[in-house]
Amino acid sequence: MLSYILRRIVMMIPTLLIISALVFTIIQLPPGDYFDSYISELRAMGEASDLAEIEELRERYGLDKPVVEQYVRWVGGMLVGDFGYSFEYRLPVSDVVGDRFWLTVLVSMLTIIVTWALAFPIGIYSATHKYSWGDYGLTFLGMIGIAVPNFMLALVIMYFSNKWFGISIGGLMDKAYLNQPMSWPKFWSILEHLWIPVLIIGTSGTAAMIRRLRANLLDELQKQYVVTARAKGLHPKKVLHKYPLRVALNFFVSDIGSILPAVISGAEVTAIVLSLETTGPMLVRALSSQDMYLAGSFLMFLAFLTVIGMLVSDIALALLDPRIRFGGGRAK
Amino acid sequence: MITRRNALSLLASAATLPLLPIRAKAQARDLEPDFLKILVAKGKLPPVEERLPSNPRVVKLAQMGRAAGRYGGTLRTLIGGQRGIRLVPINSYARLIGYDEALNLVPDLLASFEVDADSRVFTFKLREGHRWSDGSPFTAEDFRYCWEDVILNEELYRGGPPANMLIDGKPPIFEVLDELTVRYTWHDTMPDFLANLAQPVPLKIFMPSTYLKQFHAKYQPSQKLEELSYKYRVDDWVRLHKRVSRTNRPENPDLPTLEAWMPRTSPPAEQFVFTRNPYYHRVDENGLQLPYLDRLELNVSTNDIIPAATSSGQSDLQFGGLTFSDFTLMKTAEETNHIKVSLWRRAQGSSFALYPNLTYKDPVWRDVFRDVRFRRAVSLLINREEINKALFFGLAAESANTVLPESPLYKDAYAQAYAQFDPDAANRLLDEMGLKPKRFSRQRHLPDGRPMDIIIETAGESTLETDILELMTDHFRRCGIRIFTRSTQREVFRKRAIGGEIMMAVWFGLDNGVPTADISPQALAPSADDQYQWPVWGMYYQSAMTKGEPPDMPIVMELVDLLKQWRHATNHAQKTEIWHKMLQIHADQVFSIGTLNSALHPVVSAANLRNLPEKGLYGYYPMSYLGVYMPDTFWYDEES
Repeated sequence: MLSYILRRIVMMIPTLLIISALVFTIIQLPPGDYFDSYISELRAMGEASDLAEIEELRERYGLDKPVVEQYVRWVGGMLVGDFGYSFEYRLPVSDVVGDRFWLTVLVSMLTIIVTWALAFPIGIYSATHKYSWGDYGLTFLGMIGIAVPNFMLALVIMYFSNKWFGISIGGLMDKAYLNQPMSWPKFWSILEHLWIPVLIIGTSGTAAMIRRLRANLLDELQKQYVVTARAKGLHPKKVLHKYPLRVALNFFVSDIGSILPAVISGAEVTAIVLSLETTGPMLVRALSSQDMYLAGSFLMFLAFLTVIGMLVSDIALALLDPRIRFGGGRAK
Repeated sequence: MITRRNALSLLASAATLPLLPIRAKAQARDLEPDFLKILVAKGKLPPVEERLPSNPRVVKLAQMGRAAGRYGGTLRTLIGGQRGIRLVPINSYARLIGYDEALNLVPDLLASFEVDADSRVFTFKLREGHRWSDGSPFTAEDFRYCWEDVILNEELYRGGPPANMLIDGKPPIFEVLDELTVRYTWHDTMPDFLANLAQPVPLKIFMPSTYLKQFHAKYQPSQKLEELSYKYRVDDWVRLHKRVSRTNRPENPDLPTLEAWMPRTSPPAEQFVFTRNPYYHRVDENGLQLPYLDRLELNVSTNDIIPAATSSGQSDLQFGGLTFSDFTLMKTAEETNHIKVSLWRRAQGSSFALYPNLTYKDPVWRDVFRDVRFRRAVSLLINREEINKALFFGLAAESANTVLPESPLYKDAYAQAYAQFDPDAANRLLDEMGLKPKRFSRQRHLPDGRPMDIIIETAGESTLETDILELMTDHFRRCGIRIFTRSTQREVFRKRAIGGEIMMAVWFGLDNGVPTADISPQALAPSADDQYQWPVWGMYYQSAMTKGEPPDMPIVMELVDLLKQWRHATNHAQKTEIWHKMLQIHADQVFSIGTLNSALHPVVSAANLRNLPEKGLYGYYPMSYLGVYMPDTFWYDEES
């Protein structure tokens, strides 16, 4: 077990290196750099820009150097905790991400909890009442959740919540609380605004989870030992809970790997439409304005979390399900 | 939740007098804004009489057809990103010399200025007792510091003084005549010094020296500078000085300012607050110190959501992030959400113009584009009325790409030159050129036998461009020319243009459609690489003749020469004459093909915000967006 974990950790290094090279390449693909887009944006408004300052920044951040050198500088910086500099915000990347990070975690955590709370009972009900009206009805609702694009749902809900409840459009709190330290009224205001994004982002995840739980559980309920248990007259509830449900939960655990990065990046499109103060919109804006260090460091952070998440979920799976073996071939 | 509006109505006194000026006069005994009273009472601020310069700039609102107002209130506005805070200094528009509403240059921060007969010697006189927002004096020392310690410092300005301070590469002689008077002397005529000082982002010739000296190697021991660099997380004192002295984006709340509102928020933030500058130099006719509004609140949003949020009453003044297509949404929300929508006119020479590239790399096409008959024909093939009705509700003006009627240089002849829809005349012109169709088909052909297919490139930023091109296609086709649209992306578009790879480009018309004769006519001669009718020649002059190619068309050389003449012109009459010559050449030669101008732009404000003009010109330069309309004179009328 220990040697397995160590091997996995060593493998992470080349994985992350390859990812970093990919991220860097993709960020470099669009022509020009941040300053080109900045200058032309100002030009479009008829404004001239401070060229001297821009030239100086270019030089300072090595944008005039060869690409390979830029890459080495960036990766080298990240190793010592310097994530580079955001041109858009004119601040070190770590400063920019700070505040938004926690709000994002809050939104995503709540979303995951809501998703699970909805999917779990529905999934079990669907599996145990296969092909019933209830199964079809709930599945249908779930499918609508998948089918309606999140951003559209966001727009519709936003409009009505403003019209009926007078909740201000966009944002995670009332404007008065921005830049204020946390307090009860502020927290209340966040809760007031939070349910919209949580519900919207939750709807699409719920249906997928219902389907997977239902399929897994159905597989398990067909098995010999379940039939035997039933034949012996065990209480139906016990028959469901004792093993089948636990086995069907495997995929929950293997999901942890993808949940971690999702917690940080959240649903970008929805967040943009609702103009939430989370990291999603920031990342998208950084990508479109070619704010390369902000975007790159952020993507690297996500990659890092994904790799860690995978490791965690693998270990957890092994602990949960003795049937899973490490290392192909050796144990046979 | 208590909103600003009902808070104000709670506070509003029950006493109401019918006439505003009388009431304002009655209050004139108390000139101290409530917002600052606590600070004054605590002794942290001197009273208002002592904070003002001895000769403040008096803004006579009644003469401007506006109402004198009262203090108080917060103005909320939405910005599309953190960069949006640069709009505050642009709109607040306190300049040494600034444009007024009629676009004349008037002294603002300066008490007065003098220019000698041949525009070489500029003498500036400051207001006595004028102070920066931190209370430190604003004197000639601030100019000396900026010139000698910053601009001439080889570490801070590695390339030497900025190009617009030089003539033939030579800087001016700077003198301090006394504590409040400075003088700049050049060896030759300096035509646009004043205009550069009146820019939305002005030429920097003064800085708050008292504050900045603590970051300058000349005045501060290196050990202290290292500590400060560490604190601000920069590498050395040069970057430190640059970082704390940036004014384009007011990100340093400690940096003293002369603008009406001073920044109170350090980035990154979701909301930026500005509060009134207690030392601001303007007063109204009743002696109240401007600005009327105590606070500005800029909420960071996204461009996609600004129209919706504005219509729901979340912004008290909004012009950025809105386009004409949002007008109907705003109008329907007017009643319910207490907002008011005004339609201003955009100040561009044309909202949409075609630029046949005279420096295109294909020699056959290039010769076609350089033939004036072709350019006139293209202009005559555009059905401007149709475009206006289809896309602007008929509210824009059909015109060539030239100055607007609001400009003193306007002539009907310029606007109407080849701006009619006349396919027959266009056909005749093309036939004359020998671009005849082949037998049995309509399609015209180039002299070398290739079909006339024109690829028109756009930067792909607005659907308006593609809509207009769509409307044009049929008319061109009937005349035997096929046009194809290619939308790229802005950087690609610019790079291709500079490389001479674009046949015909789509871009806005003249940036500044309301110039006066004292503003440089450089947009009319090759001077920048984003002049899409001759990007390669523009590049040549922009790069001080190091890149690109010099023009080889006599008429364009004449424009270059006229621009040179304008630079050496010393009086207004000469400059006006040169401007008209250049505008006439453009009208005649149709170097760029304009369609419509004076397009409308919605400006949304809270229903009770006073002094925002119903009609105005919307543009960056010279209006500085709302700058020349003086946002410091806007105020909330609580009774309405």
